[in-house]
Amino acid sequence: MTSHAAAVDGPAPSYLRHGRGLRSWLLTFDHKRIAIMYLCAILACVLLGGVFALVLRLNLWNPSGGLVSNDVYNKLFTLHGAVMIFLFVIPGIPAALGNFVVPLQLGARDVAFPRVNLLSFWLFSGGAVFFVATLVAGGIDTGWTLYPPYSLEESRGLGILLALTGVFLLGFSSILTGVNFIATIHRMRAPGMGWFDLPLFLWALYATGIIQIVATPVLGITVGLGFLERVFHLGLFMPEYGGDPVLFQHFFWFYSHPAVYIMILPAMGIVSEVVSVFSRKPIFGYRFIAMSSIAIAVIGFLVWGHHMFVSGQSAWASVIFSFLTLLVAIPSAIKTFNWLATMYKGAIVLATPMIYVLTFFAIFGVGGLTGLFLGTLATDVPLHDTYFVVAHFHFVMVGAVMTAFLAGLHYWWPKMTGRLYDERIGSTSAWVTFVGFCLTFIPQFFAGVAGLPRRYATYASQFTVHNRLSTVGAFILASGLLVALYGLASSLRSGRRAPANPWGAASLEWTAASPPGLHNFDEDPRGVRPYDFTGLRHVSDEAGWVREGAR
Amino acid sequence: MTRPPLEPLQALIAATPGFMPARATSAAAGVDQIFAFIFWVSAFFLALIVAITVLFVVRYRRRPGRMEPEPTADHDTRLELLWTFIPLALVFAMFAMSTRAYFRMTSPEASTASPLKVSVTGKRWSWWFDHPNGKGAPELHLVKDRPTELVLASTDVIHSLYVPEFRLKQDAVPGRFTRMFFTPTLAGTFPVLCAEYCGTDHSRMAAQVVVHADQASFDAWARQGVDAGASLVEVGRRVFTQRGCAACHSLDGTRRVGPSVKGIWGHEVNLVDGSTVKVDEDYVRESILKPGARVVAGFPNVMPPAALEERDLQGIVAYIQSMGETP
Repeated sequence: MTSHAAAVDGPAPSYLRHGRGLRSWLLTFDHKRIAIMYLCAILACVLLGGVFALVLRLNLWNPSGGLVSNDVYNKLFTLHGAVMIFLFVIPGIPAALGNFVVPLQLGARDVAFPRVNLLSFWLFSGGAVFFVATLVAGGIDTGWTLYPPYSLEESRGLGILLALTGVFLLGFSSILTGVNFIATIHRMRAPGMGWFDLPLFLWALYATGIIQIVATPVLGITVGLGFLERVFHLGLFMPEYGGDPVLFQHFFWFYSHPAVYIMILPAMGIVSEVVSVFSRKPIFGYRFIAMSSIAIAVIGFLVWGHHMFVSGQSAWASVIFSFLTLLVAIPSAIKTFNWLATMYKGAIVLATPMIYVLTFFAIFGVGGLTGLFLGTLATDVPLHDTYFVVAHFHFVMVGAVMTAFLAGLHYWWPKMTGRLYDERIGSTSAWVTFVGFCLTFIPQFFAGVAGLPRRYATYASQFTVHNRLSTVGAFILASGLLVALYGLASSLRSGRRAPANPWGAASLEWTAASPPGLHNFDEDPRGVRPYDFTGLRHVSDEAGWVREGAR
Repeated sequence: MTRPPLEPLQALIAATPGFMPARATSAAAGVDQIFAFIFWVSAFFLALIVAITVLFVVRYRRRPGRMEPEPTADHDTRLELLWTFIPLALVFAMFAMSTRAYFRMTSPEASTASPLKVSVTGKRWSWWFDHPNGKGAPELHLVKDRPTELVLASTDVIHSLYVPEFRLKQDAVPGRFTRMFFTPTLAGTFPVLCAEYCGTDHSRMAAQVVVHADQASFDAWARQGVDAGASLVEVGRRVFTQRGCAACHSLDGTRRVGPSVKGIWGHEVNLVDGSTVKVDEDYVRESILKPGARVVAGFPNVMPPAALEERDLQGIVAYIQSMGETP
């Protein structure tokens, strides 16, 4: 079997074998190795953030808490949020999966700026180190939103300065990734590949890149000003020095709301790829899906004030923000219905990535639709800062983004590692994750409507049932994720060798070997139509799918 | 001539799910109606998405005998327009309904009854409520069916006053005043929560609001053990005297270095830059903390800023207010 698989690998040694030792990884310019390093770093962060979450959930088993003190609880939810957002959800899909896939889908040898790509990884690592340093320095209890005056009081200690520095570095890492992808998509498309021949994952990453480049500098400015305010008392955000704390909220959400679209747009891109390939049908409404990504990116800049409906901002500002926020529902609806239409009369294959995507439809449906309650002024006033918000953004950011991340990870896993994961383990993980996720977060909608504010270490006893269901769900969710991790990890040892094209996909990355050689393609490919499945034929499990007429 | 069966439809979209808290203010019914509308629209679309997904997976699953998809069009502009404009229309409806309700929720009620005005102070980790007769208390007392105005301040970090049964919430932001307007419609006792994270005991920063069935009941409560020293006006008079404010700001209308405080409350005054400003809580606060920001026309900009405690600031405001609105 091994000799046979070696033949499938093709003549050039795969990127995994090209160069040995730690140096050949840590100093590599190869987008594929950088992607793998990102993937490992990000998965480590997920585990860390997940452990925090489980301790939080255990503490909420009883209304009076008791497992940890209020202060420790407050630090845990802060670090859970900060680690998950800055070290997983924002970089996750673009940096880990995008880095691997973008040049391959374009038919290119690498990204436009390979050295910048490595710099981006090291900035990310530096940011992560600062987060760990924050933890060592005693942690911070400000919430990931870092609202002053609370966050910039002297008594918050050294931790807040370390955390701000970490966020600053992570922001630059994100900007560099965005710059790289935009330049790569502009300049490095295979000959004959027009803009409307791009796989939709690339349109999604392009829209993401726009947000990263335009919004993330504002995050850097904001945390920089926060740092200066804390050290030099400039009088920007702190009332005691003559500043305005609400100004910080404007700055913060000017980045952090578009950041939500940095998270969800790449996820939508993965869904577009997977739903088409596993329905064996061209994506429905390609141009509408592509343009709705751009529309979300653009409108997403103008909705930040919906986080501040009860902060005392002017009523008219709130009205305008509410209107623009609700408009985001339209491109989201367009995407959803186009995905569903893609499945119509298809030949739907229930492989693991597709199962994840099917659960994505339900989860994103709930996450998106509950956003309507929060974008609408009258209903946001009571729901703001309650568990309804917690449940809503977990449906979007954890449910939808993580589900799509896992779909993409399973989908591209054979390409990244050259191994096929076990379908039974994969599909089990998808269903267990879905059940655990729903059980964790659906009760939180009800708790929020009934009036349980978020960030509460203790709660009124009427919410005991909600919280206990959530806690049980969180452990089911965690076990689902461990099953997924186990399935993928064990495939590295015992998985079957993957053919170049195990799924019968039509985009260019599946014409390269699995795993690809150092320079991706033996000969530079020409552009193809990424959703044209005609002529693809399943030869055998070992040889995968082959396009008739090719070779 | 037949009428479209709108009434059952309206009843359906106004049917609130059964898990909402009691409705205890004038705002609650409007909020719940919009909640119900969005809820049923969302439920419909979620059911639609899930039903289509399940149906397609069952019918079009790849299986022996159905290995290839059936050819269909890969785009259809009419369908795209359909699922662009139906959601758009629904979103417009939500926006229109909610904006009307929102302005009602956040503006003073056009009512002949004089509003009950309570100063609310949030601090880590408790609330303090100064009622109009001067009675301060750790719980909020209101009167059923009497329009109410809360003026919120914070002495340290941002807090947020939240009463689930009222369907209302408002941040208390240090350095400025924020307001809530509503009319309680249900007598009883409800929890007051803090909804903006404020540190260690955020989850225990709770108080109660007692809505009295009538004014007499409120008055009876308000007379119990009133300590004259606790009144905001008293606090203001003491601060005004101790700080020597009267040296420049007379109490009887006499013109000195600065404007007199007699009878200025609620009036528009002319500023040196030609604009005008209404003398309200925010202007008085600003004039104490940053006196040079908006100087009254005809007076020099010479006053030093005074860094007063939050309660003292509120006292000054109440004191100036007590000096009447007619010069």
